[in-house]
Amino acid sequence: MKNKVLMGLAVIAMVAVLTSCGKKPQAEIDAATAAIEAAKTAEAAVYVPAEFAAVQDSLNAALAAITEKESKLFKNFKGETAKLANVITLANTVTANAATKKEEVKAEAANLMTAIKAVIEENGKLIPKLPRGKEGAAVIEQIKADAATVDASVVEAQGLYDKGSFMDALNKIKAAKEKADGLNAEVKEVLTKARIKF
Amino acid sequence: MRLKKPVRKIIMIFAILALIPLAIIFMVRMVPQPPQEKVKLARIALSEATSNKADTYSKNLYREAKALYDSAMINWQKENERFIYFRDFQKVEGFAEQAARKAEQASKTSRNNVTDLDTFLRGKIDKLNNIAGLIDKRYSSYPLSPEVWTRISKGRMLLKEAEVAFKKGDFAQAKIRIADSELLLTESFDWANAHLKDYFSSYPDWKKWADKTIRESRQNQSYSILIDKYSRKCLVYLGGVKKYEYHVELGKNWVGDKRMKGDGATPEGMYKVVRKYGPGRTKYHKALLIDYPNATDKAEFKQEIARGTLPGTARIGSLIEIHGDGGRGIDWTEGCVALTNSEMDVVYKIAKEGTPVTIVGSMVSLDQLPD
Repeated sequence: MKNKVLMGLAVIAMVAVLTSCGKKPQAEIDAATAAIEAAKTAEAAVYVPAEFAAVQDSLNAALAAITEKESKLFKNFKGETAKLANVITLANTVTANAATKKEEVKAEAANLMTAIKAVIEENGKLIPKLPRGKEGAAVIEQIKADAATVDASVVEAQGLYDKGSFMDALNKIKAAKEKADGLNAEVKEVLTKARIKF
Repeated sequence: MRLKKPVRKIIMIFAILALIPLAIIFMVRMVPQPPQEKVKLARIALSEATSNKADTYSKNLYREAKALYDSAMINWQKENERFIYFRDFQKVEGFAEQAARKAEQASKTSRNNVTDLDTFLRGKIDKLNNIAGLIDKRYSSYPLSPEVWTRISKGRMLLKEAEVAFKKGDFAQAKIRIADSELLLTESFDWANAHLKDYFSSYPDWKKWADKTIRESRQNQSYSILIDKYSRKCLVYLGGVKKYEYHVELGKNWVGDKRMKGDGATPEGMYKVVRKYGPGRTKYHKALLIDYPNATDKAEFKQEIARGTLPGTARIGSLIEIHGDGGRGIDWTEGCVALTNSEMDVVYKIAKEGTPVTIVGSMVSLDQLPD
């Protein structure tokens, strides 16, 4: 009788040990979530959207694997802990890549901003040279309107840049630069036709 | 026959040892299994939906799919908190299946929307570039107001921004820019078209004058000069046949008839050369003075003053010429017609006092204008 009781206790103890041998890796989950949040703060969704989506996927897969393990009788989170560590590494890489890309975009926007200011300055010098007394002429009105639109666009782009929205600033300044270059060519063409030196 | 006690004990131990794994297997088998494969499929479908940009181009379906997946996971976690044998994963399974279905739908819808948007935006960009091209072609030298040019210019800039966004695959931004650009460009184009249509309401008169001028040139076997303001042409006829055709530059505000001194308009009507100015007698190389204002112009001017459509202080214009120094590429005169010096030499040579000079808005009707 005594042996039977001991045997029963041994079985229960074994089951208890087996079912409680793994604990949910909460610290790693928190760290992985924080790493993703850091990537989000670094605007990874704007500057490296595909990489950011991939790392989010990895986290979701790891969390699902943990929930799956939690359903089991015998739990062991070793594999999932490794997955989370991988997510953290990946998220840190994405954060770094986003920062690099952001710097690239910022530099490109700044370069374009400098370049467009030079074109605007040249246009500003050329426009007054357009044939005198033709202020009412359609072509002059067009050129003036275009020049004003480019100026307004540069101001908007500068505002976006100052706010740190470098991607939006870059998109705006790209379009403005094309327009400013076109305008410059147009003004030079009119001046050439009118035989005015510039 | 009864077995000996030690033998019975050994058999019992073996039986128990055999039962333990069986019991464990039974215990494990009895545990309700979560729908991990279905959840995995839902997650993969959701991930595909994300890469298909369903979060942007099929927002509602994507949101629903995501909410269903989250519900599956939350329910799964809730069930995990219950005693192992009391868990029920039916709800989890249901949510996961629905999430997968919605995510697949979101993917499909998003792909279709992206394809449709691509076609739509491409079409819109082409259409707006076409309108911008028509504005350039039809109105680049048409005196529209500064406000209209500002709207056209803004519309063009937005179109450029839309093209930049489109090239980057940012269809949502491209669509917003296109909508704003379309409003500005089409409104301005429609306004300009209406303005042009209004101007062309004088076409029957222009046609009458032009036909009469050519007919008289044929009947008298003489030279006649026809100025087509819209196409900026100076046409020289001899015996009713076009002999020369030159490009001209006009008054900076050339649309419409000349109404008063200083309005920058080139008059419209049937005139004659009244004086020829050779080199040294004009600052524009050579010039042919015409009899503007004629009796009709004077009568119209008086009527406008009487009606109050012109201020009482207004003066009627004069000294309208065909002269040289043209070829500048823009409309720059105060109402005269400018030719290049070499072309002016030809016109000056064939013209004499009394040579008809007819100035019309256009020799072709509005619907015959080349696009």
